[in-house]
Amino acid sequence: MNLSYRIYYFWKRNLISYKRFIVPTLLVSMGEPLFYLITFGIGLGAYMGLFGGKAYINYLAPGMIITSVMLSSTFECLYGSFVRMVHEKLYDSLIVTPMSAEDAVAGDIVWGIFRGMISGVLMLVVAVFLGAIQINILNLVILLAVMILVGFLFGSLAMIITSFAPNFDFFNYYTELFITPMFFFSGVFFPLDTMPAWVKTFALFLPLTHGVVIVRSILSNLYPVTLLYNLAALIIPGVIFFSIALKLMKRRLIK
Amino acid sequence: MSDIIVKAENLTKKFKNFTAVDSISFEIAQGECFGFLGPNGAGKTTTVKMIHCVSPITSGVIMVDGLPSNIDNRAIKKMVGVIPQETNLDVDLTVYENLLVFAEFFDIKGVEAKKRINELLKFVELDGKSKNKIDELSTGMKRRLLIARALINKPKIIIADEPTTGLDPQARHLIWQRLRQLKNSGVTMILTTQYMEEAEQLCDRLMIMHKGKILEEGIPVSLIEKEIGRDVIEIRISEEKDKMILDTLNGINFESERVGDTLYIYCRDGSDAVKKIINLNLPKVLHRPASLEDVFLKLTGRSLIE
Repeated sequence: MNLSYRIYYFWKRNLISYKRFIVPTLLVSMGEPLFYLITFGIGLGAYMGLFGGKAYINYLAPGMIITSVMLSSTFECLYGSFVRMVHEKLYDSLIVTPMSAEDAVAGDIVWGIFRGMISGVLMLVVAVFLGAIQINILNLVILLAVMILVGFLFGSLAMIITSFAPNFDFFNYYTELFITPMFFFSGVFFPLDTMPAWVKTFALFLPLTHGVVIVRSILSNLYPVTLLYNLAALIIPGVIFFSIALKLMKRRLIK
Repeated sequence: MSDIIVKAENLTKKFKNFTAVDSISFEIAQGECFGFLGPNGAGKTTTVKMIHCVSPITSGVIMVDGLPSNIDNRAIKKMVGVIPQETNLDVDLTVYENLLVFAEFFDIKGVEAKKRINELLKFVELDGKSKNKIDELSTGMKRRLLIARALINKPKIIIADEPTTGLDPQARHLIWQRLRQLKNSGVTMILTTQYMEEAEQLCDRLMIMHKGKILEEGIPVSLIEKEIGRDVIEIRISEEKDKMILDTLNGINFESERVGDTLYIYCRDGSDAVKKIINLNLPKVLHRPASLEDVFLKLTGRSLIE
């Protein structure tokens, strides 16, 4: 693996390009969380009574924050990276400079993490504003760190898909068959306690589940030791997916 | 010959079962313009990509300025400027930002970057366009911006991969001007092209490639002399007249070739042959000096290559 500080240059290139779209993308990122929190949290929540002594919106908000990170990182490293690679030939122009293919791909994944964090932080602001969560310095710092880990894992995973995607349509398989089920089976909308045992076991293999568990726990100011296990379930696959993504992308970029 | 800056030995590139470059060896001297000529799929671009470290070498060695070329050699990439065949400018950025971002990839920042960008924009006559988006540029302007981008790191070696393909004559001549200017400043230039006129305009020395092998190598003028001679007479006439015409030329040293509707006569000195052919009073005769294109077609064959 041939990584260097040049990762930062690629991130910065994306930032310069992003400046032009910042208002529309912020509006979209802002609109989506509001939509979910208001329709599900307030609208549906009004008929649901209390969830562990709290209103449904309080149950929903932590999962929604981390889900929005997952979705943004995923889409950035699927569609964004695919456009940069295939349509704009950006990678081709980069690899003739001292930047290596690995630098470029890693830089794009870091960019995916960054986009995920923008969405996550916006969601967080909305949730605080709606009174759905309370934050303090400690849980805020951990929350931001978990956002990075979730962005890293899903950005890398999406990059693996991009590395062999022939076209845009291919991404539908991944989002419909993997990302959407993840959204529903990771305990974002309802606790998995009442589900059959096999669903609970299945959920343990979904990385988002662990992100949701950590965030929900720290936002309730609970820090059990088992969170370390959830953290490992984000970090270890993240590192594995990251190295596979670099390897496969390099194979696609360099012939 | 002066110092050698690029030296390839038994260079081979295979893609699965297909051999794109087949054990070729060549040397490029510092400060010269070296051309790779060949039809589509000859292996020119692949060879050049191995020189500037973006395509892995299957076997053989290339040394660039004393360093072995391989896929992760950042030191070589740092001293090479590449004008790619495909216009791969950053369409999300402005003209100025394109150069700024690229400068940073080479660790050139701040005042130094700004100074160089302004100089380069003047050099390629795009100084009025710095705030424009890439979509707003013409094809010729995009090419010129690619040249400016390739020069951002003050390269020792410039690699131009078919730099004028698809341009109108004005744009093409402006690019040739700039490339000659660069060559005169002492930079080594490596050019791939399928335009013979371009090769004649720019190259000190060239190599004709076909199917991954080198067919000929040398100085353009002496290649023409050696392979074709000095004169070419083209006679557009039906095939049955060939024998009659060739019989008339009896006693003159020449070669002939029939291609489609045309009979080509190649000779060292065409004056006698021309006189005899004029006496035949044929309707469509063209007498012209031999060109690199004749050499190219003779060596690579006239059938379509796809």
